[in-house]
Amino acid sequence: MSKEISELNLPDDVKYTDDHEWARLEGENLKVGLTDYAQDQLGEIVFVEMPELGDTFEKKEEFGSLESVKAVSEMYMPVGGEIVSINEELSDAPELVNEDPYGKGWIIEVKPGDPAELDLLMNKDAYLEMLKGLE
Amino acid sequence: MESLLYTSSSGRQCLYVELPITDYREALELQRSIVAARNNHTLDCDVILILEHSAVFTLGRRGGLDNLTVSETFLEKKGIPVVHVERGGDITYHGPGQLIGYPIIDLRTLRLSVTDYVSGLEEIMLRTAADFGVAAERNPKNRGIWVGNSKLGSIGISIRHGVAFHGFAFNVNIFLEPFCWINPCGLKEVGITSLSKALSRTISMRQVRRRIRHHLSAVFGFDLVPIKVADLQDAAKKLVLQAAMK
Repeated sequence: MSKEISELNLPDDVKYTDDHEWARLEGENLKVGLTDYAQDQLGEIVFVEMPELGDTFEKKEEFGSLESVKAVSEMYMPVGGEIVSINEELSDAPELVNEDPYGKGWIIEVKPGDPAELDLLMNKDAYLEMLKGLE
Repeated sequence: MESLLYTSSSGRQCLYVELPITDYREALELQRSIVAARNNHTLDCDVILILEHSAVFTLGRRGGLDNLTVSETFLEKKGIPVVHVERGGDITYHGPGQLIGYPIIDLRTLRLSVTDYVSGLEEIMLRTAADFGVAAERNPKNRGIWVGNSKLGSIGISIRHGVAFHGFAFNVNIFLEPFCWINPCGLKEVGITSLSKALSRTISMRQVRRRIRHHLSAVFGFDLVPIKVADLQDAAKKLVLQAAMK
């Protein structure tokens, strides 16, 4: 059973993409993960396909994928940039994406090529409006 | 979830393309181009491809060749290719006599969660099996539909910007021996079955295609519009126009 929109955990301190990822500025880098809505939709995550450290991607380019017991879902860059860190813990514990999507379940850390791209992402209210549009 | 799915009466138009036995890679290219058109909105309606594949082994994203129990040389001699694809799951086999459904569906506009969508695909196969007198079931741990410990129908889904592709594979008359050359879907200690095997008689693909089509429409509330693959682009444009004029 999927969560109701009112039950979703949507923190204020991250930005959101229309592919249901979040990005949080930590120092100069962006931490990126999956939103509570997306993890709930996909169900139990069983495998995370990661990029290599040092890979660079354009905004919106596919950087990896998540496999749940139900499906594989691709993940896309919220901004263009270089992969400077990946969450190694997910190889043994992919379920962290479900359990703590904005914390221990983070996926990659990106050094943005153009920090201004961050301003194009949605804030919580805009993302919430988008989710309501999907209902 | 159940109520959402099975009382659905949205009557959304969905293009329905029946293909003959098709090479896996050819069908994959067709799927990818439809997904791309769906993603960039040159195609604004869903499409379902129904077909059979010529013999092929496919590997999902996680798939290594560990679950292949014969050598690649052996497969080469048999003329069976091994193809890597973006769907979920491990190695599997496809061949003539297995009915394949590739719904290329924007889950967002259909307002379906991935979980509900997969349940819906299972439901279509369960109902079709029941039409032929085979009582199949879901398995809480593994996707697909099962008769006892044997898999009758499989599911492998991929999602690109909210558009689902790949789909289901339903064993009708398929020659089962090649499944013995792998541990199907990476699962050891399980078997594989088909409608024909379960019933000890040959089942007509044509009849199964008809029942699958009926249940696809009933379970997802689709108004299926049959078209030829060559007319796909034109038909899509017309539907968009019709919708705009309403």
